[in-house]
Amino acid sequence: MADTNAIIRTEALQKVYSNGKSAVRTHALRGVDLSIPRGGFSCIVGPSGHGKSTLLQLIGGLDRPTSGNVYIDDINIATLNRNKIAEVRASKIGFVFQFFNLLPNLTALENLQTAMMLGGVKAKEQRSKAMELLELVGLSDKASFLPNQLSGGQQQRVSIARALSNDPEILLMDEPTGNLDSESEKDVLEHIFAIHKRGKTVVIVTHNDTLAARAEHLFVIKDGVLAKNP
Amino acid sequence: MNILKLVARNLLRRKGRFMFTLLGITIGMAAFVALLAIGGNMRNEVTAQTYALGGGFVIVPDDLCVYNQIGIITGEAISERLAYGEYEAIAAIDGITVIPHLTRRMMIYNPTAGENQAVPVTGQLPAETQAFYGWEMSEGRYFESQDEEAVIIGQSIKNRFKVEVGDKLPIKSGIELEVIGVLKVTDGNDDAMVHMPISVAQRVFDREDSLSYMTARVDDMRKFDDYQEQMLNAANNIKIATNEQMLGSVLMILGSVEFTLQMVAGVALVAAAFGIINTMMTAVYERRREIGIMQALGSKSRTIFATFVLESGLYGLFGGALGVCVGYVSSLVIAPMVAEHSETMLKGMELGAKVDVQLVVTTIAFSLIISVLSGLYPAWKASKLTPVEAISNG
Repeated sequence: MADTNAIIRTEALQKVYSNGKSAVRTHALRGVDLSIPRGGFSCIVGPSGHGKSTLLQLIGGLDRPTSGNVYIDDINIATLNRNKIAEVRASKIGFVFQFFNLLPNLTALENLQTAMMLGGVKAKEQRSKAMELLELVGLSDKASFLPNQLSGGQQQRVSIARALSNDPEILLMDEPTGNLDSESEKDVLEHIFAIHKRGKTVVIVTHNDTLAARAEHLFVIKDGVLAKNP
Repeated sequence: MNILKLVARNLLRRKGRFMFTLLGITIGMAAFVALLAIGGNMRNEVTAQTYALGGGFVIVPDDLCVYNQIGIITGEAISERLAYGEYEAIAAIDGITVIPHLTRRMMIYNPTAGENQAVPVTGQLPAETQAFYGWEMSEGRYFESQDEEAVIIGQSIKNRFKVEVGDKLPIKSGIELEVIGVLKVTDGNDDAMVHMPISVAQRVFDREDSLSYMTARVDDMRKFDDYQEQMLNAANNIKIATNEQMLGSVLMILGSVEFTLQMVAGVALVAAAFGIINTMMTAVYERRREIGIMQALGSKSRTIFATFVLESGLYGLFGGALGVCVGYVSSLVIAPMVAEHSETMLKGMELGAKVDVQLVVTTIAFSLIISVLSGLYPAWKASKLTPVEAISNG
């Protein structure tokens, strides 16, 4: 029976990759059922190459499952077309990636404004909202900096601010501290915790034990199946 | 942030590539505009010169083909097979005013250019011709008798040869005639001719009793068929062509030339279009990761598609606008060269490019359409990328 408090649910989720014309098929996920509670701080852990990032991509609608369902707020995104999934992403989900993935030719401020534009925020409201978010991650003084003028930690903080641009309920993060030095990692984690306290549902794929230890809900993926379901 | 700003930032991030792609479409459109502008002005010039013949029709030897008839408009030498008696026979018909011409292209030394240049020299009946065309003088005087051994020149001859009234013009080896006057601009090929009494021309050319052609008009054009019959009866070996018929022949030839030139410009445009496709395909490949990021941020396929089509379209807009400017400037530079170096029909024509608003608008619109079409395939490729594919492979 469905968990009524769950904001994200998957049912019998499978993902199989085929390698071009060859008959080799890789089973990344072999039927995952999970429920992620609304407003929770969840971590997905497990060995490398066992399906964690694939699970996150399917939850975020970045990829399509081979079979099974993914519910975001009871909307089964596995059955939606590309544009409908894009609408769900723009309104309900913010992404933070390991390699920051800021648009390189836009300033920190413009990166946030672009996300807002795609989320339908009017041009004249974008600037003040974006500045508020940069203030939140302590980078309002770097608004006009291009990504390559920022440190890794600063880029990730801009990326977190960008993920909040359209005030999504869910933040999906793939190894957000995986590419940072320890000082920057600590800094970024503080911001992630602070954002969770503002009521956001945070789901993080990580190898970071410190981070996993702070999780309210810990999911372990091993060999494409859910090995531990809290 | 809006799509246009985003596109502008994308365009300008690789300034070198942007400039070279823009240059491609600019050159293509400039060639298109220059050739069309020159072609259009040639057409206007030929039309003006035809109507400046003054008469309703011309009378030529009956074995003169269409291409030779064009020489009358352009001031080229044509055969001298009409007899003076045929002029007299036609002039005797009531209701017809006819003017005889004996025209030959002579090589005259141009001290400014330091070389001999071909100039149409024509012999006419001074009094009748002036009355027929309503010529006025801008300098000097007109012929005082029907056989005065002197010449008057058109305005463009004066400008080309830097000749003044009172100077001697070397018409032929051993024959120099004084320039006694300069005609006011007629807008016809008379501006690019040297004029002398027909009796003098017959002596200079050593063609006693010969004519090249006659220009004529009738008192009542509605009775043209009757007059034509009378003329054909009065003279044996003549053919009659109306100005409209001659103009039609010239424009048909010009049309073929224009078409060929447009095909050349078309090849330049096709090359430019492939330049855009190449640039956009490279951009799609380079920006795979960014396309994925945009999708992760909630961008729909159609937004990605629109971004690339807009980017491609801006090449066409800017390239078209720049091409129009470069094309017109080029035609201003090229047209006098075409007119100067042509040995035949364009000699002495004023081919300066006139700005045609319709051509400007059409060119920019055409450029825009070509570039948008060029951007469709790359944009489609970009919009079909899946976010995970784009981010993973970017």
